[in-house]
Amino acid sequence: MARKRKPERVDVCIIGAGASGATAAKVLTESGVRVVALERGPWRKHESFGGDELANVNRYNLWPDPLLNPRTFRASEGEDPKVELFCPVPQMVGGGTVHWQGWLPRFTESDFRLKTIAGEVPGATLVDWPITYADLEPYYTKVEWAFGVSGQGGVNKYESPRTKGYPCPPMPMTRYAQKFHEGCRKLGYNSFPTPMAALSRPYNGRPATVQSAFAQQHGDPTGTRSSALSVFVPDAVATGRYDLRPDCYVHEITVDEHGRCKSAVYQDADGDFIEQEADIFILACGAVESARLLLLSRSGRFPNGLANGSDLVGRNATFHEYSAAVGVFEDPIYAWAGGGYVAASSYEFYEHDDARGFVGGCHIAAAGVGIPLPINWSLPDRPMWGAQAKQMDRDLYNHSFAIGMVLHDMPQHDNRVELDESVKDAWGLPVARITLKPHPNDLAQGHWVIDHNAEILEAAGAKKTYRVYPERVTGNCSHQHSTVRMGNDPETSVLNKYCQAHEVDNLFVVDGGPFPTATGANPTLSIMANAWRVAENIVRQRGARTAAMAREE
Amino acid sequence: MSRIIPTDHQPGAKEAGTIEFLDRYLSGTDSVYAKPDGSGFEKLEGKRAEAWQQRIDVVREKYIEGIRELDRRSQAQFDADFVRLTTEQQDRILADMERPARQIEAALEQAEATAAWAPVEPAMQQTSAEIEMNFFPLLALHTRQGFYADPIYGGNKNRVGWKLIGFDGPASLAETHAGHYTTLPYFAEEQIDWGREDDRGA
Repeated sequence: MARKRKPERVDVCIIGAGASGATAAKVLTESGVRVVALERGPWRKHESFGGDELANVNRYNLWPDPLLNPRTFRASEGEDPKVELFCPVPQMVGGGTVHWQGWLPRFTESDFRLKTIAGEVPGATLVDWPITYADLEPYYTKVEWAFGVSGQGGVNKYESPRTKGYPCPPMPMTRYAQKFHEGCRKLGYNSFPTPMAALSRPYNGRPATVQSAFAQQHGDPTGTRSSALSVFVPDAVATGRYDLRPDCYVHEITVDEHGRCKSAVYQDADGDFIEQEADIFILACGAVESARLLLLSRSGRFPNGLANGSDLVGRNATFHEYSAAVGVFEDPIYAWAGGGYVAASSYEFYEHDDARGFVGGCHIAAAGVGIPLPINWSLPDRPMWGAQAKQMDRDLYNHSFAIGMVLHDMPQHDNRVELDESVKDAWGLPVARITLKPHPNDLAQGHWVIDHNAEILEAAGAKKTYRVYPERVTGNCSHQHSTVRMGNDPETSVLNKYCQAHEVDNLFVVDGGPFPTATGANPTLSIMANAWRVAENIVRQRGARTAAMAREE
Repeated sequence: MSRIIPTDHQPGAKEAGTIEFLDRYLSGTDSVYAKPDGSGFEKLEGKRAEAWQQRIDVVREKYIEGIRELDRRSQAQFDADFVRLTTEQQDRILADMERPARQIEAALEQAEATAAWAPVEPAMQQTSAEIEMNFFPLLALHTRQGFYADPIYGGNKNRVGWKLIGFDGPASLAETHAGHYTTLPYFAEEQIDWGREDDRGA
C-alpha cells in the first residue's frame, strides 16, 4: 500500500469535535484561522439517528461500547480497579450534544468564588476560579444566541446579571413541568422554565424543534434540536477553513526540542498512523480523555505526561452524580412527552447557605422516568419480574415523574484520572482509570436536596414519593470537570486563566477539564462559552504576534 | 419469559413475542441496530462487529448454562423439566434463581455502578453491561426489552407493551425519523405566562 503523505502543517489542530472543540473551531475559522480537527469517532449525519431506545440506550449506538472503550474505576488507591463505563460521553462529531436534551442553565457569580464564600472545606481542594462570571457573561450570550436557546431571562431570581434575554421564548410546558412549578409555588420556592438547546419557534433559518418522545439519550433525526453537530460544526465548515477528520484517534502529542507541542500522531480509519503538525494544539476530548491524552504523551521533557511537571494532570476530578426523588400522582402526567426532559427548574437550592450544613448547592429540575420507555427504569420497590412488576409498570408509567439533581461534588486531591496500564482499549492504549471517593459534603448535600425535592413532589400532590439518595459517585452522568484546572499559580494549576498550559505555551484545553470546581449546574453551556472565550483570546494573541512580526520586518 | 411479564387481563411477554425478540438478538450481528427509518438493519463492520460478536457469544453461553440450571433445579424439586411445570412451580424455581442473583446484584451494586440491571435510581443516564450480568437478570432485562422496544426487533407485537403502560408511541421508526411524530397533545393544557419576551439585542 502506498504510504500516505504527511498532511500540511496548519495554524491550529483541535483534538475533538464535541461541544468545546466545535465551539473553538467555529470561532477560530470564522476569524480566518485554518483548523484541522481530529475526532476519534464518526461524523454522523442527522439521518443516521432514530427513535430507538434499544439501540441508543442499551446497545451502544450512541454511548461508547465498553468492549471497545473501557474505563476502570476504584474507590481508593488500595483497591483493585474494575472495568466500568464510568462517566461515558458519546464519542463522535458533536460529542455529548448529539444525544442530550440540552439543558443550558448558566453558572452564577458565586460559582467563581465559592472558596471565598464558603471558606476552607476539610479534605477538599476548593478554590476560587481565576475568572469571574463577568468574564464569561459575553460568551454565554454568544452561545445562547448562536444556538437559539429557548428560555426566559429574569424569571430565575438567583440568576446573575444578563446583558441580553434569550433569543427564543421558553419551550411549551409539559404536565410534569407544571407539577414541578405548582409544588415550588406552594412552598414559596422560585422556579423557572429550564433554558434549552431547542427551538420554541423557527430561528436563524432553522425550523422549530419537533417534540418527539425520543430526545434525551437519542440523536435527533430531524436536526431541529440545537447541538454542536447541528450548529457549530456547519458554521465552521461554511468558512472553508475547517478540515474535520472523523475516525482519527490521536495517540500522542509530540514535543519539539524546546518543549513545545509539535504534532499530533493519530491513527486514521484505515489504521494508518499519521502525523499532523500545527502552531497551536487545543485539546477538547472531555475532561477524562483530555487528561488521558496528556498522560499518554510522555517524552524525555515530560516523563509523567505532557504539561504534567506539577503532577496535577488528572487530579481534583469532579463528576456530577445524578439522582432524583420520584413522585407518584393520581392524574396522568405523561412524563415522556417531549422526551422526558422538557423541564422546569429551580435554583432555590443552588446558592451556598451555611444553615444547610454543607457547602454549595445545585440545580434541580423536573424529569421523566423513562428514556422514554420503562426499559431502563426502575423504582426501589418494583420487583424484577412477575405480576406485581407488570402491575407497577401499568400503574406508574403515566403517573410519575422525577425531580433530579446534579450533585455539586467537592474537588479532592486524590480523586483522579490516571492511565490503567493493565487494561487496553481496542486500539491498544491504556485506558483511563478513575479513583474516586465521595466527600462527606457530597453525601450531605445529596441527602438534603433529595429530601427537599421529595417535599416539592408532595406539595404538588404526590400520593407517594421515592427518595433515591446518592450514596456513592458512580459516574452515572456525563458531566466531567477539573482534571486540568485553570489558575494563576503554576504550583496549584495546570493551565492559566486562558486555559493555556503553564508549562507549554502552544497547548490549550477547552472542555470541562479547566473548570476548577464542578459547580451545581449542567456544565455544557459554560464549557462552550469558555471555549469561545479561549478561542477568541487565541485569535487576539495571534493577531498581536502577526502585527509585531510585521513591525519587525 | 411468560413468567417474567405474565399475561393477565392484558397481554404479557408471550403475546408480545419476546421469545422471537431474544432469538433474533442471539442469532448474530445482523439485527443489532435497526436502520433509523425502519427500512432494515445496519450491517456492522470492523471493531464494532467484532465487539458485538463477542458480546452475543458470551450472552448465548449464559443462556445455555442458565436454561440447563433451570432444568436441573426443576428436576431436583419436581422431577420434570422446567417447561413441564405448573406456573406456580415455575415461579418457585425462578424465585430461587433470582435470590442468589439478587445477592450478587446487591454486591455488585456496592462494588460497581454499571453492572446491575434495573438500578434503583430512576432514569439513570447509563446502560447496563450485559456481559457482566448473570442469567436471571439478563432474562428479565431481555424480556423487558422485547416487551417495550420498537416492534421492529421482533417483540412488542401489536404494540402490546406500549398499550399496557399507555405510551402513545410512533406508528413506526419512520414516523419519528421523518419528524412526524409529536407528543404535543400530552403537554399541559394551560401554559404559564412567563412575561413579556425580553428582546434586548434581538
